[in-house]
Amino acid sequence: MTKIAIVTGGGRGIGRAIVDRLVRDGYSVLTCGRGDRPDDLPVAVDWVAADVSIPAQAAMVASAAAEKGPVTLLVNNAGVQVEKTVTDSTDDDWDLVIGVNCRGVFNMCRAVLPGMTDMGGSIVNIGSISGTVSDPSMALYNASKAFVHGLTRSIAADHGPTVRCNAILPGWIMTAMVDDAFALARDPAAAKQDALARIPVGRFGTPDDIANTVSWLAGAESAYVSGQCFTIDGGLTAVSPLQPGLF
Amino acid sequence: MTRLSGKIAFVTGGRGGIGRAICARFIAEGATVYAADISPGGSLESEDDDGTHFVPLDVTQESQAISAMTRVEQEQGKLDILVNAAGIEIEHTIEETSLEDWNRIFAINVTGTFLTAKYALPLLRKSATDRPLGPSIVNFGSYDGFIADPGLAAYCATKGAVHALTRAMACDHGPEGIRVNAICPGYVDTPMLRSFFGGAGSGAGGASLENVLAPVKDVHPTRTCGKPEDIANLVLWLASDEARYASGQLWVLDGGLSAQVQQMRF
Repeated sequence: MTKIAIVTGGGRGIGRAIVDRLVRDGYSVLTCGRGDRPDDLPVAVDWVAADVSIPAQAAMVASAAAEKGPVTLLVNNAGVQVEKTVTDSTDDDWDLVIGVNCRGVFNMCRAVLPGMTDMGGSIVNIGSISGTVSDPSMALYNASKAFVHGLTRSIAADHGPTVRCNAILPGWIMTAMVDDAFALARDPAAAKQDALARIPVGRFGTPDDIANTVSWLAGAESAYVSGQCFTIDGGLTAVSPLQPGLF
Repeated sequence: MTRLSGKIAFVTGGRGGIGRAICARFIAEGATVYAADISPGGSLESEDDDGTHFVPLDVTQESQAISAMTRVEQEQGKLDILVNAAGIEIEHTIEETSLEDWNRIFAINVTGTFLTAKYALPLLRKSATDRPLGPSIVNFGSYDGFIADPGLAAYCATKGAVHALTRAMACDHGPEGIRVNAICPGYVDTPMLRSFFGGAGSGAGGASLENVLAPVKDVHPTRTCGKPEDIANLVLWLASDEARYASGQLWVLDGGLSAQVQQMRF
């Protein structure tokens, strides 16, 4: 039987790498995003134009996938960031970040869990190291990711034994979102070099690094793994943010 | 201020940078304080009379731990507060660390905490019926027990061990009315920190504390390093009745340093 997977926000970046990997792993993948279907998305991948922050649209994504068969994997990857402190954040910023990053994950889990609880499956949420330690001027984003970590544990507690739920906490993965974060620096190139010097494995992450982890958490090898948050950051957060040797 | 009036406190590393601040604060709050250290001058190499009773103590030596506690028992009959502040730092990666150095830092930072607490427990138990202030042990972990500084491998490992030991002691001796917590300092201006900046923490040009202090402070959300008095404030609170429901916890005190991924410095 074909395995059915939903990946939210799979049009580009980390989400796209996850989609491509799951296709290679033999999944029938449905992904979604707020815009039109990306031209370069493989034809075998289903696309639904949807905003997961809106409950009805999240439900639509879940039922479109369920038409193909039981959904055994949900990857909540869709996320947005706003580079602001609390005092600079507007109500619209709140609605956007909390809407997509928190409510979107909740909406998708609520829509998929009834079927998944019957048939068994795995949910992989994309959290962030920023949900554990803060990135400056990313207040709502940091907080939204901590929500994802908490919800991950709650789903694991409530929906075992048939459903496993884990989160992946990426560090600095080379995507457009990370470029936006470095754009906050006075000298983005120097800030990138400084950041690179702090990563024990000596490079920024790639979307494939995250897709590899999703693949493992989706599969049978991780059958006893649930309720955990796994940091994939090349060692960045294992090291103190203060390294006088770099001054 | 006499929040510790009538209380007996024993502070290892009591003549070191942080230990002296703790002893001074305890004395100001009315406690009788035993400052234990390897030498009367400690790491500050100053022998000014600080109002404490000095106890010569090599924390790695079981016989000396026994003698120290025997003295406290003979002179006071009980102990209310134990602070395990004695510690050293070895600035090497594991490859550069000799077995002798590895064993030495574990002997002081981990075994020392174990031995002092082991022989203090019978005296602390005698205070367990005192209310409202029950006995309290404060160990010294470090934020390095959570995240690593480069070139401090053995030190990081000893502090992780102290964190686990703290939880275990709280678990075992809580039912006896003894609370156990650990403070995990970040960058505190002490002789140990100044040594770090001259060694493993130095830049390519061999940065001294003076020329790295500004950028070091800037990396902290509070934009400052800690002072020994900041640590003493928390030791006092954890030793006090205000903290009577606090046990088994690791109290990170680092100016927010480890709450962030990093600051953009450019």
